Amino acid sequence: MDGKVIVVTSGKGGVGKTTVTAAIGAAMAMQGKRVAVVDMDIGLRNLDVVMGLENRIVFNIVDVIQGKCKIKQAAVKDRRIDNLFLIPASQSHEKNVIRPENMIWLAGKLRKEFDFTFLDCPAGIEQGFKNSIAAADEAIVVCTPEVSSVRDADRVIGLLYARSIKPRLIINRIVPKMVENGDMLSHEDVLDVLSVDLLGLVVMDDKVVVSTNTGTPLVMQKDSAAGSAFQRIGLRLDGHPDLPIENPMGQKGFWKKLGAKFSRKN
Amino acid sequence: MKDTENQPVKLKGVGDSLHVAIDPTQSIDTLRQSLSRTFERLKHLAINAKVIIDPGEDADCDGLIDELGQFLKDTFAVGMVSKPQPRKRSDNQERIREQDIGNEWHHYRSEALIIAGRVRSGLNIRAKNHLVILGDLNPGAEVYAGGDILVMGSLLGKAAAGQPDNETAIVMALEFKPTQIQIGGLVAAGITESGASRPEFAYVENNEIVVDDYVKGNPFRQLGWPEVR
Ligand SMILES: Nc1ncnc2c1ncn2[C@@H]1O[C@H](COP(=O)(O)OP(=O)(O)OP(=O)(O)O)[C@@H](O)[C@H]1O
Ligand SMILES: [Mg+2]
Repeated sequence: MDGKVIVVTSGKGGVGKTTVTAAIGAAMAMQGKRVAVVDMDIGLRNLDVVMGLENRIVFNIVDVIQGKCKIKQAAVKDRRIDNLFLIPASQSHEKNVIRPENMIWLAGKLRKEFDFTFLDCPAGIEQGFKNSIAAADEAIVVCTPEVSSVRDADRVIGLLYARSIKPRLIINRIVPKMVENGDMLSHEDVLDVLSVDLLGLVVMDDKVVVSTNTGTPLVMQKDSAAGSAFQRIGLRLDGHPDLPIENPMGQKGFWKKLGAKFSRKN
Repeated sequence: MKDTENQPVKLKGVGDSLHVAIDPTQSIDTLRQSLSRTFERLKHLAINAKVIIDPGEDADCDGLIDELGQFLKDTFAVGMVSKPQPRKRSDNQERIREQDIGNEWHHYRSEALIIAGRVRSGLNIRAKNHLVILGDLNPGAEVYAGGDILVMGSLLGKAAAGQPDNETAIVMALEFKPTQIQIGGLVAAGITESGASRPEFAYVENNEIVVDDYVKGNPFRQLGWPEVR
């Protein structure tokens, strides 16, 4: 059976696409899936750095598309997790060297090799975004509880719907204390505006930075709240779609998907 | 029209006000005496009552009405005194209304674009005439309509009604928190709301966009006849 190609996108930059891609990729590989993560940020690659693989890169995605190497040659195997492979971006090319039709071709190959392929989309809605969504079967939209991030996520969700790609949402960098004090949007506020299926809620967690700096996958770190949220997201993406979403606000009880939002009656 | 029974004053009807027909050709003293007789019979019913003094078709007797009104107020403590509202009804209008009833309004066509779903940031929608959105209009979304814009949900984006120059158009939303409203050529920046999410609507009054509670201020309630918009 063919695998799935899932684009990770956000509109706004710096909200956690690369973090999400690396963490979910690792989580699902550890669940036994064959996973590729693809850095779509041509000219500004950094997924390799986050995964601690930059010194192993020989070929990159542009080489694959230009026929200079096979996917297997370009795919860098993770140091610790079997089944997890990185297809790095090219650092030296312009982003316009890749066209949507190239990505459709590449995605066809990737579906044959991997159970899940995650495309780490660059910020914005220009060429890199268009390339990434051209080939995607599904989309994960990442946003933070900030008005500008929600606005951009909304825009991207609209563009995904226009392509008949159904998006699911991860709200990242939630700071429960700030939400409690009314200084940060709650995830309910965000969902009120975006009204899409929720895939997970991820808190702000220092371990994310530790993970990036040491190259240790977040999901392998003990006691990482963000890491365990990503593990659960991995399960939701593969066979456990109804796994309850933990409320980072620590309120009693779990809530499932979007349901609880609408049962809230004032 | 002359009063056939030759009475200078006649109490025509008692609805929520007293309708008094007078014969303006009579002297003011005759009228006063006549009114006194009539109002004495009413006793306490006259107190604070709304009174309409009707001098008949052709008369221009505002001065007379004022004087008699003051007399009634002083003597019988009646409330407001006014002259009858001019009857605007024309034969034409009557015919139209009969048609409306006969056809159950089926002969009309009112153009509206009705859309169900969420209008997201970056989307623009343009309706020739009215626009109805069964859903929310997100921040960053913009809608334009030649006529009214009715949002059966939250209005958080920008809505421009009555484009380009119809200032009788309204913008209504169940939750009214727009970033910007335009009606005809007028623009108003969104008002940061108190928080109460009641249905509200924006309309133009004295060359200004005003927002009011829709249920309380519904401007169409006052229309006596269901008109096509
Ligand atoms: N849950 C989190 N807790 C703490 N820090 C986080 C979290 N998620 C992301 N970060 C940090 O936020 C920064 C931006 O994250 P990341 O690089 O993943 O965003 P991005 O969306 O890929 O950015 P770009 O648009 O530039 O590609 C990084 O420094 C990352 O370590
Ligand atoms: Mg990134």
